[in-house]
Amino acid sequence: MAVRWSSEFFTALEHRELQASAMAVDSTGTFVLLAGRRYIAVRNLDDTDFENIRKFPRQSKYDVNTAEWNPTQQNSELCVISSNQHIEILKWSLGELTQTHSMRAHTRVITDLNWHKSDPNVLASCSIDTFIHIWDMRDFRKPSLSLSAIAEASQVRWNQVSPHILATAHDGDIKVWDQRKGNAPIQYITAHLSKINGLDWNPQIENQLATASQDNTVKFFDINNPRRVEFVLVSNAPVWRARFTPFGNGLVTVVVPQLRRGENSLLLWNTNSRSAPVHTFVGHKDVVLEFQWRKQKLGENDFQLVTWSRDQTLLVWRIEPFLQKLCGYDPNNCRKLDGVENEVSDTASEVSYKAVTKIKPLQQEFSLLNVQIPNLKVVKMDASQRCCVVSANANNYKVTLHVNFPNGYPNGIPPVFEIGQGSSIDEFVSKHLLQSLTYIAQQRVSKGRTCLEPCLRQFVVMLEQLVDSSDVTQLHQHQYLEPDVLGTFNDACIPFPRTSGAKFCSVSILVCFGRQLHMRRTLAKVDSSTPRALSALGNGFNNRRGNEQLTVISHYIQKQRLRIKQSNRSLKGVITVYDAAGLFSVNRQLAEKYILDGDVTRICKYNAKIAEFVGRWDLVQAWTLAGLVIKTQEVEQEDMMEHPFGNQLIQSLITHYANHSDLQTAAMLSCVFGKGQDEKARRKSLLKYFSVGTGSPYHTIPPADVVADGWVFPLLRAVRSNSLDNLRVEELPQLIPQKPPVSAFYEYYKLAYAEMLHRWGLLYNRAEILKYLCTPAEIHRGVEFLTDCQKCKEPSRTTSCPTCKRISLECIICHISVKGSANCCLVCGHGGHTKHIQQWFERYNVCATGCGCKCLIETVGMFNF
Amino acid sequence: MVTVLNSIDTGHEDMIHDAEMDFYGLRLATCSSDNSIKIYDIKNGAHTLLEDLKGHFGPVWQISWGHPKFGNLLASCSYDRKVIIWKEQQGKWSKYYEYANHDSSVNSVQFAPPEFGLALACGSSDGCISILTYHEESNTWEAKKIQNAHAIGCNSVSWCPAVTPEPDFGNDEETTFVRRLVSGGCDNLVKIWQEDGDKWVEANKLEVHSDWVRDVSWAPSSGLNRHYIASCSQDRRVIIWTSEDIKTWNSNVMHTFDDVVWNVSWSLNGNILAVSGGDNKVSLWKQSMEGTWMCISDVLKGQSAM
Repeated sequence: MAVRWSSEFFTALEHRELQASAMAVDSTGTFVLLAGRRYIAVRNLDDTDFENIRKFPRQSKYDVNTAEWNPTQQNSELCVISSNQHIEILKWSLGELTQTHSMRAHTRVITDLNWHKSDPNVLASCSIDTFIHIWDMRDFRKPSLSLSAIAEASQVRWNQVSPHILATAHDGDIKVWDQRKGNAPIQYITAHLSKINGLDWNPQIENQLATASQDNTVKFFDINNPRRVEFVLVSNAPVWRARFTPFGNGLVTVVVPQLRRGENSLLLWNTNSRSAPVHTFVGHKDVVLEFQWRKQKLGENDFQLVTWSRDQTLLVWRIEPFLQKLCGYDPNNCRKLDGVENEVSDTASEVSYKAVTKIKPLQQEFSLLNVQIPNLKVVKMDASQRCCVVSANANNYKVTLHVNFPNGYPNGIPPVFEIGQGSSIDEFVSKHLLQSLTYIAQQRVSKGRTCLEPCLRQFVVMLEQLVDSSDVTQLHQHQYLEPDVLGTFNDACIPFPRTSGAKFCSVSILVCFGRQLHMRRTLAKVDSSTPRALSALGNGFNNRRGNEQLTVISHYIQKQRLRIKQSNRSLKGVITVYDAAGLFSVNRQLAEKYILDGDVTRICKYNAKIAEFVGRWDLVQAWTLAGLVIKTQEVEQEDMMEHPFGNQLIQSLITHYANHSDLQTAAMLSCVFGKGQDEKARRKSLLKYFSVGTGSPYHTIPPADVVADGWVFPLLRAVRSNSLDNLRVEELPQLIPQKPPVSAFYEYYKLAYAEMLHRWGLLYNRAEILKYLCTPAEIHRGVEFLTDCQKCKEPSRTTSCPTCKRISLECIICHISVKGSANCCLVCGHGGHTKHIQQWFERYNVCATGCGCKCLIETVGMFNF
Repeated sequence: MVTVLNSIDTGHEDMIHDAEMDFYGLRLATCSSDNSIKIYDIKNGAHTLLEDLKGHFGPVWQISWGHPKFGNLLASCSYDRKVIIWKEQQGKWSKYYEYANHDSSVNSVQFAPPEFGLALACGSSDGCISILTYHEESNTWEAKKIQNAHAIGCNSVSWCPAVTPEPDFGNDEETTFVRRLVSGGCDNLVKIWQEDGDKWVEANKLEVHSDWVRDVSWAPSSGLNRHYIASCSQDRRVIIWTSEDIKTWNSNVMHTFDDVVWNVSWSLNGNILAVSGGDNKVSLWKQSMEGTWMCISDVLKGQSAM
């Protein structure tokens, strides 16, 4: 119990009977807790009376494995210890230590505990039962999140900067987790070949962590680049712990001496000069089990390190300013830097614990802004005036950007961007720039996030693209989104990328792509099964290239094969386009040549000839058969519908081809069959009408109209079910006995065939087919040409005026009403079918009506005017 | 029966993940792990690179051409959680619309049949399906999201064809198209979704696959009076789902392959199915009149041998 003083350290405690196995220093740096099987002791480090310890007896079969005080101000009185499978939460208040919770947290021994750096209620624990549990102090019944790691975990550490990231050590490997995507690690680092004893995150650099391992080394990793070790510190014995200093670039390591003899010293390193430690702390007589930093007191220049060794000695070391300088830290600047540090930790807590943050977000954002953006210079940044001025210099452009932050920013209100005077870009470009900046800003602030840095980066990227849009490498350098966004993806749920595929496109084209043959062979050698998730790339083959870029190719090519890959670089993406027309019964040549005009017999004959020409003998038979059926009926002058054989034959023909997916033939036959029906029906009914004389008293349409109408056929087809069939109402059932449901399919065949023709680019043939549709086509939406009635000036959609029932536009040449393409003189108003008018004016230049208007000349004159 | 029309060395710097020809079969679009999309003009055995689209910050998984009546549109989806619709205007392709409301990799995009208007379905690893619909009047894209369509993640989406041989076709009444989708995901399920008012509701949940469903495809049209859906999975099987009324579905295991199956694609007529998978082989399958499925071609397996 002797008390030793030295210039460098003082002994704070030497208490053999405590048999403590864990030590923890609280967040204020005042109290130190020592926990063992029999006692938990608390010591006030500021108290100079070294005998003054509060001891609380604790009867337990198990040693205390780990102890840690809560690092946040809100819960600074809480301390957690683990013993065997249990977690105990202790509360230190008014000199009394009370246990608030005790629970069985894991099914096997707990190996490590770690409080969240900023959220006062969150605690992570890991165990050799392979689980990492994240607990919330407010609800202890079950962990708020469980991470399943498969391998047993020996260490768990929360990231010091990012509130969501934590790392765990599993033997020689590190897993990095994002607690928002907890079902698989976001990163997997094969760090050491031996066991990792200690793990620590850099308090300043978000992505850097240090691992202390049994293999005598300390390695530093950037978690975004798990393949490469940033650097290594080599020691002469297995390293037990390695922790970053709270100042500068320092790191303190402690080793586990072989055979428990020899080196019991702590080493202080500067991570920027790694050949030798900058200082050795000599004083311990036994193995150092734990060391922690005390919080720096206001007005003090020294930092203090508390170390605890196996012989129950607690030493407190002063780190003098000269040592701090050796670690690249200037204590004279500490005021300023301190401020920054506070802000850093506050950003970390921003998401999870907003209420504490009292610091102005804008000031904080400014101080956090990484101004090292290429080609960009920050001219002015003023948090009190809420504005920022930057200038970008990309090749030949020099642009000044003013950013003003409204008071509500960043909670839903984006900053206002302005291009400053003297900028060398034109108005169009600057408008475009501002638009996309506002868009990015809007997206960020809508989620309450700050946006200055992404906006500035985008600003520079866009300027560079302006200068040279083809410069690909530049573009890749500025994927500012990538590390940030992609780094947190949970690849375990993203399917493994397809590297081969086949797609039918258009009508009969088959597009195929795949891997090269040599790739397949190596795959077979390496791994016989194809992984299902993208995370396979990160684990098994672990071939990530450069910055977070996935290389699927690496899965297929082993390292030694890379040479081949490079030599065959151009063969990476070969696509083969096949014409698979031979597999289908539809034929483009037929489609081009088939006709649908004229009478049915002629169509059938002609189409049979076409089929013969193309070499489709089966279709020759079909067409001949169809022709025969219809012809027989004509000869017999008998209604087709009443002919039991022919009707069914055609139907079964159509069904046959449809079943064989020959929609072309099915659709063509449907059209011809429909046509045959119509003609028959019309002839028959007209015949009856004329023979009966007046016919049904209910009919409304006089025959003269029908005959006079130039569009007698389509009209009949379209309204087949009402006007003409009314003539013999009682005969309707016999007249059209087989309408639905079969005809529904015919319609469908026609539509499907029409789409095929469309894809072939045979628009005329497509229109021909569509004319035979029974259902009204899609209602036309778009530009429409209406004719104004010549008499009453009413617009009309059909051929006759809706009010005066006169023909709205009569062709001056043939005296038939015009539907479709028409031309009129703008002066005299006379006109008609485009074709007729064209023929007329090829020879004459005066109006055909004889009105004396020189239409051609007058119209030209009008346009000139 | 099958002849090579074209062989295109795309010059992509990494693996290609999808390739598709446009409506007329005149242009080819490809997308790759090198984050880019390339568009080629394909004419009589020759090909010219029209455009190299860069805009994604991650591997581009899938692309889809729009119907030409809406202009030349191409949609792409990527690992960077974004869906981009590209448009050709005056011979230049540029970003037309960007949708970034997914929380994880977007794995599948497909434009709807033109009868449904200009619409796009996207399936993402965040488990959601988004349906983007363009409204001409307001010149805006409306996004509807099916939350948690597939637990863990959605791998594929495919639209129901608009033109179908349904019995009510001949009726004079205005045919209102019901928009339907089929999707497959990491929960081993194939699900059919139906638009009901302003919501999308699950119409069917088809459960046969025993591992992640990688691709689903609704046959565009078929000569038969039936709906066909093909689905393929990590369990190495391709399953053909058939239905008469889109309400009850029957499953039929078409074939169990040697390796995982990634891709199923129907021909326009709906009678031939192209299947490809992890073993780098492409095979074509056709249904016989008796209803059994036969492999009609396996000749494409060495397709990329050069």
